[in-house]
Amino acid sequence: MSRACAIVGGGLAGFVAYATLRRGGLEPTEICVFGTNPDPAAAWRVRAAAIRQRRMRSESDGHCAPASFPGLAVRAALRRRSVVPLVESACDRFHPTVEEFLEHVEELRAKTSWDESFHRSRILRVRAAADGFELDDHGLFPHVLVAPGHPGLAFPEELAGDPRVVHAYEPHEYAGQVEVVGAGMAAATEWLNALAVGASVVSVRRREPERRALNLPRELFTRRGLAAYHETSPEERAGFLRRYSAPSYPPGRRWDEPLERARREGRFQVAPAVDGARQIICATGFKRGYRNDALLRCLVDEHQLETVDDWIVLTPDSTVPGLTDAERTLALAGAPAQWSYPAADTLMGAKYAARRFLRKVQAWPTR
Amino acid sequence: MAYTLRGRLESRLAVVLAPLLAACVVTLALKAWWPVELAGLMLALGVALDLMLYHRLLPYQPGWAALPLGLLELAAVMGLGRVLHIGAPLAAALAFYAGAWLLAQVLGHAVFPVVRLSYGEDGGELGRVGAGAAAAAVVVLAAAAGVAWETQPPVVRLAAGVHQGPLVLDRSQRLVGEPGAIVRGGIVVTADDVTVQDVTVLGGENGIEVEHAERVLLERVHVVDAVLDGINVRRSQVTIRDCSVTSLESEYGQGIDISFSADLAPSVVEGCLLTGGQEGIFADSVHAMLKENRVRDTTLRGITVTEMAMAGVKDNDVQDVLGIGIYCGDYSMCDVHDNTITGVRSDPESSDSMRQGYAIVSHYWAHVDAEGNDIAGSPRTLGVFADARATSE
Repeated sequence: MSRACAIVGGGLAGFVAYATLRRGGLEPTEICVFGTNPDPAAAWRVRAAAIRQRRMRSESDGHCAPASFPGLAVRAALRRRSVVPLVESACDRFHPTVEEFLEHVEELRAKTSWDESFHRSRILRVRAAADGFELDDHGLFPHVLVAPGHPGLAFPEELAGDPRVVHAYEPHEYAGQVEVVGAGMAAATEWLNALAVGASVVSVRRREPERRALNLPRELFTRRGLAAYHETSPEERAGFLRRYSAPSYPPGRRWDEPLERARREGRFQVAPAVDGARQIICATGFKRGYRNDALLRCLVDEHQLETVDDWIVLTPDSTVPGLTDAERTLALAGAPAQWSYPAADTLMGAKYAARRFLRKVQAWPTR
Repeated sequence: MAYTLRGRLESRLAVVLAPLLAACVVTLALKAWWPVELAGLMLALGVALDLMLYHRLLPYQPGWAALPLGLLELAAVMGLGRVLHIGAPLAAALAFYAGAWLLAQVLGHAVFPVVRLSYGEDGGELGRVGAGAAAAAVVVLAAAAGVAWETQPPVVRLAAGVHQGPLVLDRSQRLVGEPGAIVRGGIVVTADDVTVQDVTVLGGENGIEVEHAERVLLERVHVVDAVLDGINVRRSQVTIRDCSVTSLESEYGQGIDISFSADLAPSVVEGCLLTGGQEGIFADSVHAMLKENRVRDTTLRGITVTEMAMAGVKDNDVQDVLGIGIYCGDYSMCDVHDNTITGVRSDPESSDSMRQGYAIVSHYWAHVDAEGNDIAGSPRTLGVFADARATSE
C-alpha cells in the first residue's frame, strides 16, 4: 500500500480530516483511513442516543464539511424555506438537531467517497521511519494524522463494581429515583431526561458547573485567544487545560425552568455524594490522558515524545515536534490534540487540526 | 467571530476593495469625486473604529452585531460627509453604503470562509490574500488621490483691492479672494468645475453670471449694486452657499435666478441673504434645493419656483415681502417645509387675487406639500389657484 496520507481513526475527527484533504485536491486513492466502523458517526451516534440528545451544543458551523460556509443553519433555512435558522445563527441561538447533523454526515460521506478510502483495521502501532511512518504492516505513509477518539468512558473509582451504575453514554432507561454523577452537558441532559419520565433526580457534584454556550469561551476557538494560549509555559498550559475541563452546560430557560419546577416539587436536589438510589448514572465523560490509549502510549514510549501531565506536547499546528519535517508529518486530532487547541475534542477542533494537516500535505515537495 | 486586530483590518480592506473600484468607475462616469471621497471616508472611518474601538470592546462579535455597527458607521459616515462637504446625493450615498455593507456581509460570511478554510479560526486573517487586498486598496486610494491632486483646478488668488471686471472664467479653476478682494463689473463663468470663494462683486449687468457650466461652486460671494440680477444662472448646475445680494439697481432684478436646467443635476442655494428686487430666489425649470436662506423686502414674491421645476424649499426665512411669500407655479412640485414667513403684505396696486398677501401659493397645476411652516403677520396663509393642489399637515 503506497499512499500520501493515512488517517488513523475512522470517527468524526478522522472524517473531518478526510473531507478536508479531499477539498484540498487529494483523491480517495491518495488517502487511507483506518478504523473499526465505516460509519464515521457510529460511536457518536450511540452516545447521543444514550443521553437522548436532540440538539447539538455546537452551532451552525459545527459540521464536518471543510469550509464553514454553508453551515447547518443555511442548510436548515433552505430545507425549511425559512429565514429563522439564519436569524438564530446570527444571534448564536441556532443549534442543529441531531438528525440534521447525522444527515449531513451521511451526505458528506457519500460526496467525499469516504468508503473508497476506508480500511477496517485497528492500528496498534505507529513507527517513525526516515521518510514517513509505518502503520503496523500496512506500509509507509509520509503524512499521518492520528485521531483515535476518546480512550474509554470514565467512572469514579469509588463506584467501580457497583451494580447500580450505568454510564450516561451507554444505552439505559431510568429508574424511579436516579442519582446523576457529574455536572456537565451530558449530566444536565440526563437530569432533564429523568425528570421528563417522572423520576426523582439527585445531582451528585463536587463543584458547581459553569454556564457557557460552548464548552470554552468563544475567543479560544480563534487565533485571538489561541495566540496567548500558545505563548503559555508548559505548566501554565496544563493548568489552563485542567481548569477548562471543569463541567459546564449552556445557560438558558430551556435548562433552568424544568429544574426549578422539579426542585419546587421536591424531585430535584443536589448532593455531594451518592446515596442509596436504585440507579446511578455516571455522566462523567471520558478517560483523560494519552496513557489511557494504547496506540498513543506506545507512540510516546517508543519515540520518547515530550509530554506534560496527561498531554503530548504538540506544536501550534497540531503536529508532533521531532517527527514532523519537510518530508513527513505526524499530526494528532481530537481530544489528544488539546495541547495545540484547547477545544480539540469539538468539531471546530477537528477542523483546526485537519486544515493544518492539509497545509503540510500541500507543501510536500513530491506531491 | 473573534477577530484579531490584523483580521479586522485585513477583512475590512478586502471587502472595501470592490466598492472602491466601483467608486472609481462611477467617479469617471459622473466626473464627480464624491464616490471616491465617500468610499475613502468609509474606509478611513472603519479602520479608525477597528483600531480604537472594536478591537478592545468586542473580543467576540456575534453575527447580529453587524447591523447596529453598520448603522453606527452609516451615521458617522453621513455626519462626517456633511462636515467635510462631500457632495454626495443622499439617496446615492445611502445606496452605495448599503451595497458595500451587503457585499461585506456576503464576503465575510460566505466567500472568505470558502476561499480560506481557516478564515474563522484565524480571526478574520486572510494570509497573503489579505495582505494583497490591503495593498491593492491602498494603491487604489493612493492612485485616486494622485489623480485628484493632479487634476485639481488651479487656484487663482485675488489680492485685496478692487479689480476691474468683468472677469471671465472660461477654464476650470478656483478663484479665491483675499480679505478685501473686490471685482468691479461682474464675473462670468462659462467653464465646468469653477469655484469662486470670498469675493465681493460690485456692479455688472448681472453680478455673477453662470452659463452652460456644471459643478460650479459660489461660496461666500457678496454682490452689491448689480444692474439686473445678483446671480444669474442659465443651463448650469451650481451650488451657491453663504452669499449675499443687496442693492439691486433695477426694480426688475432678482437676487438669484436659476433657469432652464431641469435636465442637469440639482442646484443648491443655501445660507444666502437676499435683499430687495422683484424676487429673492427665482427657480425656473430646474431641480433645486433652496434652504436656510433669508429673503427680505422683495416687490413681487419672496421665493419663486416655476415652470415644471422640482424644488425643496426648506428652513428659509422670508420677511417683509409684497404679494406672495413662497410661490410654486406652472406644473412645478414643491416641498415647502419648516420655513418662517412673516410680514407678507397684500399688493394694493394689483387686481390679481393671488397677490392678496398669501404666505404660500400653489398655482396652475402645481403641487405644494406644506409642512411645519411658521407663518405670522400675513393676511393669508396658503392659496391654491388654477387647478393647482396643495397638501398640508
